[in-house]
Amino acid sequence: MNENRGPWYLITGLVLGAIAGLLFAWLVQPVQYTNTAPSTLSSEFKAKYRSLIAAAYMTNNDLVRAKARLALLKDPDIYRSVAEQAQLSMAQGNSSQEARALGILAMALNQSLNEASHSAQPTKIIIPSNPTLESSLPIVSTPAPAETTFSLSTPQSLTSTVSADTNTPLPTATTGTPFALKSRKLVCDEDFGAPLIQIIAIDSAGQPAPGIEIIITWEGGENHFFTGLKPELGLGYADYTMTPDVAYTLKLAQGGQPVSDLSAMYCEGSNNQQWGVWRLEFVQP
Amino acid sequence: MITLGIGATLGLLYGWVIDPIKYVDTTPDTLRIDYKSDYVLMVAEAYQTERDLPLAVERLTLLGAANPTEIVHRAILFAEEQSFADSDITLMRNLEESLQVWYPLAEDNAP
Repeated sequence: MNENRGPWYLITGLVLGAIAGLLFAWLVQPVQYTNTAPSTLSSEFKAKYRSLIAAAYMTNNDLVRAKARLALLKDPDIYRSVAEQAQLSMAQGNSSQEARALGILAMALNQSLNEASHSAQPTKIIIPSNPTLESSLPIVSTPAPAETTFSLSTPQSLTSTVSADTNTPLPTATTGTPFALKSRKLVCDEDFGAPLIQIIAIDSAGQPAPGIEIIITWEGGENHFFTGLKPELGLGYADYTMTPDVAYTLKLAQGGQPVSDLSAMYCEGSNNQQWGVWRLEFVQP
Repeated sequence: MITLGIGATLGLLYGWVIDPIKYVDTTPDTLRIDYKSDYVLMVAEAYQTERDLPLAVERLTLLGAANPTEIVHRAILFAEEQSFADSDITLMRNLEESLQVWYPLAEDNAP
């Protein structure tokens, strides 16, 4: 009898044991992760983390530190993720303080990216060799004359030592004379499915102007947004989705004439009731 | 019985080492102590400008169910141990002082 059983009972035991082992390892006593890095956070908590980085940046104006913190989230493009979250925050009607902080941080990041791309001396990023810091902060050094250093005070510390005189100032919107409305037209484009107001701001040098604060008001409400938070559409670009049957007035925070009577309108001659897009172009004289 | 044991060992090896359950959507309370301390520092930095204690508490509660003052206190201890910049430690102490009014530390942890 025993001879006829062959090796199958051994394999059965092996399989049953493996299943029991897997059940134990995956369900009863799974690997516990208690010392995680910010990059493993869920997208919801990453968003909260980003908002907090922006809020802290509003106090310390330390862009190097903000960048190092954002790097911990391992987003493929930190500028884009902050800019998109700023837009989302405004669209969702979150606190204007949060949206503003994210917007300002996005603009500072954008400004630093532009400066880096125009700089003859590229920024050098040194990754620490300490293996325990694989997910920690890089040491960033920018060549003279604007030398900025970010260093880890100890191998496990996330704090930075940045001298006060190297702190990055708050990004400011393009200064100078107020922007004037150059053109206002209703555009019909099938690419836009929603009734939008598009703002395009061009500075006195003829370049798109990011960071221009726009105030839009309607009966019983007000919202603020900035140009440059949708870089894929241009640094001087911003848009706002209108609610049908609401009349809006728009003006730039830095001054200039308000643009009134903006409301959602269908395109003329459109068979399928396609929404038109108000395109407002502001130019700095 | 022996093969059962071998199978279980292989199963454990696979489940714990080769392909353990991956935590990709973790919460801030699982962060390593240095990241938690930096998180607390960010809350303290934001509080410096915002002066919004309920918002600071809301942010701190993401780090766990412990008393918010206790969370800040632990971060301060870590910051001191790791020689954070004095200005950073001061910011955290300011937050701790503000929190003490509503969330006092337990007697044995009091400075």
